[in-house]
Amino acid sequence: MNGHTIGGAGWEQLVSAALMGSDRGAGASAAGVLEQAAVAVVGQRAGQTPVKAQPVAAAPAEVLPLAPSKAADRLARMLAGEHPRLIEEWLGLAVEHGVRVPARLIPQLLDLGARDRSIRGHLGVLAGARGRWLAELNPAWSYVLQESSGASLLGQRALAQTASGQASSGQGALSQGDSGQGASDQGVLGRRDLGEGTTDPGVHDHRLHGILDHGVWEFGSSGDRREFLERLRAVSPGDARELLAVGWEKEPPAERAAFLATFADGLSMADEPFLEAALDDRRREVRRAAADLLTRLPGSRLGRRMAERAARSLIRAGDTLTVDLPDQCDSAMERDGIRSELPAGRSGGRKSWWLQQLVAHTPLDFWTRHFGLPPEEITRLKIADFGREILMGWTRAAILQHDAAWARALFDQEPLTDLLAVLPAEEQSERAAELVRAKSVNGQLIMMLGGVAGPWSGPLAAAVLERVVEVAASQPWNAGELAKLAAERLDPAMHDQLGHLPENLHVLPSTLRFRFDLTKEFS
Amino acid sequence: MVRRVIERWSRDQVLALAPDASSQKAAAGVSSPAKWSSAGVAREALWGECKGSGAKPYRACVDLQEPAYRCSCPSRKFPCKHALGLLLLWSADGVPGAEEPADWVEEWLDQRRERAAKQTAKLAEKVAAIVAEEAAGGSDASPGSGADDRRARQREERVDAGLADLERWLGDQIAHGIANARQSALADWDELSKRLVDAQAPGVAGLMTGLSRVFRHEDWPARLLSEYALAHLLAVAHRRSAELPRELRDTVRSRVGFTMPKENVLARPPVRDHWQVIGTRDEERDRLLSRRVWLHGRATGRTALILSFAPLGQPLDSSLVLGTTVDADVCFYPGSAPLRALVAARHSAADPSPMPPRGVRAASVPRLIADILTCDPWTDSWPVILSDVVLAKADTGWHLADYAHGDSAGYDGAGRNGTGQAGRDHADLDHDRADHASPGHAGHDRDCASPGHADRDRDHADLSGHDRAGRDNADHERAGSGDEEGNALPILPSVGDPWRLAAVSGGQPVTVAAEWTPDGLRLLSTWDEQGQVVVL
Repeated sequence: MNGHTIGGAGWEQLVSAALMGSDRGAGASAAGVLEQAAVAVVGQRAGQTPVKAQPVAAAPAEVLPLAPSKAADRLARMLAGEHPRLIEEWLGLAVEHGVRVPARLIPQLLDLGARDRSIRGHLGVLAGARGRWLAELNPAWSYVLQESSGASLLGQRALAQTASGQASSGQGALSQGDSGQGASDQGVLGRRDLGEGTTDPGVHDHRLHGILDHGVWEFGSSGDRREFLERLRAVSPGDARELLAVGWEKEPPAERAAFLATFADGLSMADEPFLEAALDDRRREVRRAAADLLTRLPGSRLGRRMAERAARSLIRAGDTLTVDLPDQCDSAMERDGIRSELPAGRSGGRKSWWLQQLVAHTPLDFWTRHFGLPPEEITRLKIADFGREILMGWTRAAILQHDAAWARALFDQEPLTDLLAVLPAEEQSERAAELVRAKSVNGQLIMMLGGVAGPWSGPLAAAVLERVVEVAASQPWNAGELAKLAAERLDPAMHDQLGHLPENLHVLPSTLRFRFDLTKEFS
Repeated sequence: MVRRVIERWSRDQVLALAPDASSQKAAAGVSSPAKWSSAGVAREALWGECKGSGAKPYRACVDLQEPAYRCSCPSRKFPCKHALGLLLLWSADGVPGAEEPADWVEEWLDQRRERAAKQTAKLAEKVAAIVAEEAAGGSDASPGSGADDRRARQREERVDAGLADLERWLGDQIAHGIANARQSALADWDELSKRLVDAQAPGVAGLMTGLSRVFRHEDWPARLLSEYALAHLLAVAHRRSAELPRELRDTVRSRVGFTMPKENVLARPPVRDHWQVIGTRDEERDRLLSRRVWLHGRATGRTALILSFAPLGQPLDSSLVLGTTVDADVCFYPGSAPLRALVAARHSAADPSPMPPRGVRAASVPRLIADILTCDPWTDSWPVILSDVVLAKADTGWHLADYAHGDSAGYDGAGRNGTGQAGRDHADLDHDRADHASPGHAGHDRDCASPGHADRDRDHADLSGHDRAGRDNADHERAGSGDEEGNALPILPSVGDPWRLAAVSGGQPVTVAAEWTPDGLRLLSTWDEQGQVVVL
């Protein structure tokens, strides 16, 4: 029903008369053409009729409750430009509280998620059924279909609604909060049972039976399946591994690496054979994920191979370490996760690069046993050459293997915030506070603090506030930057305990107050 | 003491008052509690002190009843960011209630009341004079001083000459052919529009400046011919206006660019109703801001357009807040399809209660538009409220379609547990149909001077709502009687995908306020599950 596709030969003739000029035709006069055209146009507009169109299928019902209206209003304000950097905090809290966003805000949020990957995981949950329904209509938002809908967070009833519509039977293991109880590493299912398919009625464990019935694992989005596996892993690592093993070969390569990441929880030697086999995967991401996991198992075959290589490369004489660089990166090393090629942008020799990776992938236990020294002494040994590579390797290993003792020792050598993340929260706060007190306030310190996750409280909060006031006048720019960061990381409950602050730090109380209100509105 | 509590407006409603997007942003920047001291709300007044760059804080206050704004800041924007920020803070429940407004607020309110009373008295005087004169059988041309008369005559002559010029020019274009319009027309239109402004025919001049839009379309020759034909029709109608019925003559005059003085409009019979603000839209053209506010009368079912203008940076009328309803007298400008109106008097404060207005079926819209076009062939925009419509798709793009009530497939009712609005409206309409299913309601056989509401409503204001609802429903029955017939209207493609409507409705039937245009519906607002208005 385009307003100007006026039907009939008469109209066509009028248009061509108008185009060519009525003087040139033998037809009507100019005024005649205009008059006839006016009649035709008005007639057409008045004669429009309703057309047929296919109503879009209605969106499925929502499972999550709506966010409180004040919280939703605040989100609208943030989307309109007020404290946009805090949107992520709002989204995170909303996920925690298990609420969804009001429908009118979904398009803006999905647009935001299309530009900013970091919030996509949140949106998978918060946009709810409506968001997914919209994503089906608008390809620009289809990313949200790959995200977990948070279905398994919602307990069994919700699971049943999201899944293929099968009635649920049995008790879902996921909603019972009995994690740990079934965390034995013996898979309750033999491969024999699973060989026929995951919904084999022969599955006898009632918990697993309930889970499989929901169909999330078979039919869910990749995000839902990942989350499902994570949850199952938390309850019963063995079952999770067995379940994954059944369809492993048929899983899309991109998914396989993400599934392997779930092994980090409850990792044990029982996983070793599966992971060792995954070192031969066709996809590099999968091989690397498997290798990273295996370095955390000192008894693994990979761990032992790495230890042998490490023993050859690093030789201790008294309090000095000398390095014997690997000659080559053979296929066995590559299989164990060592990249032969230099990453883009890295300068220096390839051999020292191999060395660094080798150290990074060697179980840290090996060094303490091999040298007979605790980590803080090992990290203080003199290193003749390639000290940088060795330290970087240990740092990476400490992060990968979540080794607090090593992280502490290495942090004393070089305060990298990535190492802080390995330490318990209280210690993180103390160590970061020490740094804040000791170092001058500059870009480097601010960047370092940027790596310390919030909420900051205790000694760190006190130290940051102290320093920021101290330098407010002398270094206004750095103070402003630090205040901005602190405003986003400090525990918002501190908003009214800041005392008197200089004028140029007003961002602190106002942002903290904003975050405080933001938090409050969810409860 | 019984304290009347004004219901808070939503954030959307507040932001809709902003003169532009940058003001919205700036307002958000000063809407945090930390920026405000001694803020309060009492009766219909909202006030606060906002820390600015200077030593003295800015004092902002809002009369929520009107609303009206005042701020001590030097900004030329209106309302300024402080007034808007304060409103935002209030809308987020961030302003504490008080017993009485602060003294400086009270002072301002008194001044306002005084000034308003004076203005009202002055206007009333003028209005009374006009009414008295009309009662005495006065003629169209209002007799004034000799100089006024002379100026009026002079203008008539200039307009006559200008439109004769236009008629000739249009004839020439068609005689010579418009094939080269892309190359030469822009300059011609500019020139022509200047001549028409000089001829004091700003309405037609505006038509000419808007013509360049046709080139955005593949079928521009057809569109251009349409525009030329309608402009020609207007010029001819003006030339022969003595032969036209009075209402049509009024329409021609207003389209040409004669504006009727406010007091003359206010002297016309008012239509009292509970008028709900169903949509607003601002436009900027040639450094002139225009604001359209569409009202819908709850009892009469009539729609009205309140138009206001302001030079860029100057205040636009922001006394009507989207979604609110006000009991008011509205006077329509004269014409054969009256739409533009003025709010003559308010009998209540704006009521923000969330509730969608009662609309019509999509299938009945073409008939309604046919009626309007019969009376005013130049109509290219008309407000419609559609009840119970769902988003639909066809090859040509997005549509709004009537929701088929009998069809329960895909509709489990789960999405509409909020208001149950769909069912209620339907019941109402059925009721109306039972009362008014008389034959003879077909649109075309009415004479042009009364397009289904104008004159008749003046006498039967309370009946016309029922009347129209009945007619619309009868039309719907006609349109929906065969399976072959459609029940959907296209959404204007040029404004992009209707994602917000999609999100809010979720494919369920909703109420939508829209502007009918020849190319499709321009969406204005919808109402969500809670009955809250949502800007589309």
